Amino acid sequence: MKAMSWGILLVLATALAQSVGEILDRVEKNLQDPWQAVVQGEIQGPAGREELRARVLAIPKENLFRIEFQKPGSLEGNFTVITEKEVWNYLYLTNQLVISPKEKAQVQGLGFSPQGLGDLKALSQRVSLRLVGEERLPEGMAWKLVGQAQEGQGFASLELYILKADPRPVRFLFRDEAGKVLADLRVVEFKRTPLRPQDLKRYPKDAQVLRR
Amino acid sequence: MRWWWAGLLFLGLALAQGRLEAGVYGVPGALVSTLEAGFTLEPGEAFLRLQLGQETRGALGFSSSLALGPLGYLAYGLQTEAGTGGLGGMAFAEGGAGPLALAVRLGYRPKGLFPLFPEEGVFGRLSLRYRLVPKEVVGFLWEGGENSRAEVSYALREGATYTLGAGVSGLPYLLLGWKGEVGEGMEVLDLSLRLGGLNRLEAGLYLGEASLFLTLSYPWAGSLGVWLGDLGWEGGYKEAPYAWVRYAWRWP
Repeated sequence: MKAMSWGILLVLATALAQSVGEILDRVEKNLQDPWQAVVQGEIQGPAGREELRARVLAIPKENLFRIEFQKPGSLEGNFTVITEKEVWNYLYLTNQLVISPKEKAQVQGLGFSPQGLGDLKALSQRVSLRLVGEERLPEGMAWKLVGQAQEGQGFASLELYILKADPRPVRFLFRDEAGKVLADLRVVEFKRTPLRPQDLKRYPKDAQVLRR
Repeated sequence: MRWWWAGLLFLGLALAQGRLEAGVYGVPGALVSTLEAGFTLEPGEAFLRLQLGQETRGALGFSSSLALGPLGYLAYGLQTEAGTGGLGGMAFAEGGAGPLALAVRLGYRPKGLFPLFPEEGVFGRLSLRYRLVPKEVVGFLWEGGENSRAEVSYALREGATYTLGAGVSGLPYLLLGWKGEVGEGMEVLDLSLRLGGLNRLEAGLYLGEASLFLTLSYPWAGSLGVWLGDLGWEGGYKEAPYAWVRYAWRWP
């Protein structure tokens, strides 16, 4: 009997593990065309609890993402561009574009990984996600995935909600080791829209470009 | 054996990420070679600056940085110098985090040597800028040394960025600035005018592959510079006519 219970549990665990892969595949297929959205919510910034609002632009087939920060005020005008191999961070106040290889560009201090907001597949490689159920959100029914992050991500665990009717992420909840919420972000104003790679890679021509 | 080690060292530097800028600087009756090189190592960048001519001076330094993603970036370093006049050195830090940006350097050089080592004696510079609200930035600048000055400024970004400021360089002066996009590809025109105790017009046009710079000041001095890709040319008048041609390589 005990062996049978373990067997059922094992089959169930395998089925759920498969589901995560399937869900992420569905998201990937659903988000093949260029899209844009606004990510908003609260983050635990260096100066305490702050409101975050950022516009995300994505050309998934090119592995190209751009996150333009609008709030908090100290980040307004800053943006992050994620390319196939690099992460670019533009800093408005110092007019600098800091270019780092992806593996060196882990962000500490923001409480979450901006890269993950646009590139879910890359995020899932750094967080061991599992399906824990379904929940009704204002946007509709959503799969709830949770997982522990690898070290050096700037957060310890993630709760991720994927809309079932239109498979795409609608909510990210990043927590620290003690379970405290570091960032609670919702994806709103989502739309598919034509975007060009050069639009996502735009930066002021007088910026000082620094390669790390 | 010595050549073998030199070859290995050269190979190591060539494989590391790096930059090299070589140039010739000329005034009537004299030519000077300039060389600036930087090699990226795991903890930072080792750099070299060398000016060879009738008077020669060189600097060796190391800089490192702290990157905070979209929150900010801070670079800092040290350089030691030797050559005409004797030993010297400089420490520097620059960058920003959240609403605050700073640039500071402090150094000593027994004799200034134009163009790579222009300051003489004890010299310093401090620039602080603070973002009051997203579109407004206040700044403070202090420069010590031969031509010391202090300046405060207020910048408002409303489409373009408008700057108003005042400073003291012996006598008080006024600062007016305008910076904005002049094309669809984020090409930038940057203008600033200082009038009074300091009289200087500075203009920069940044088009991506090409950049143009103009400086005009009174008592009369001026320069016009162009960067076309990796090739830079600058000509002007500073006590005597001069020209400076440079070429920059970056790898990989």
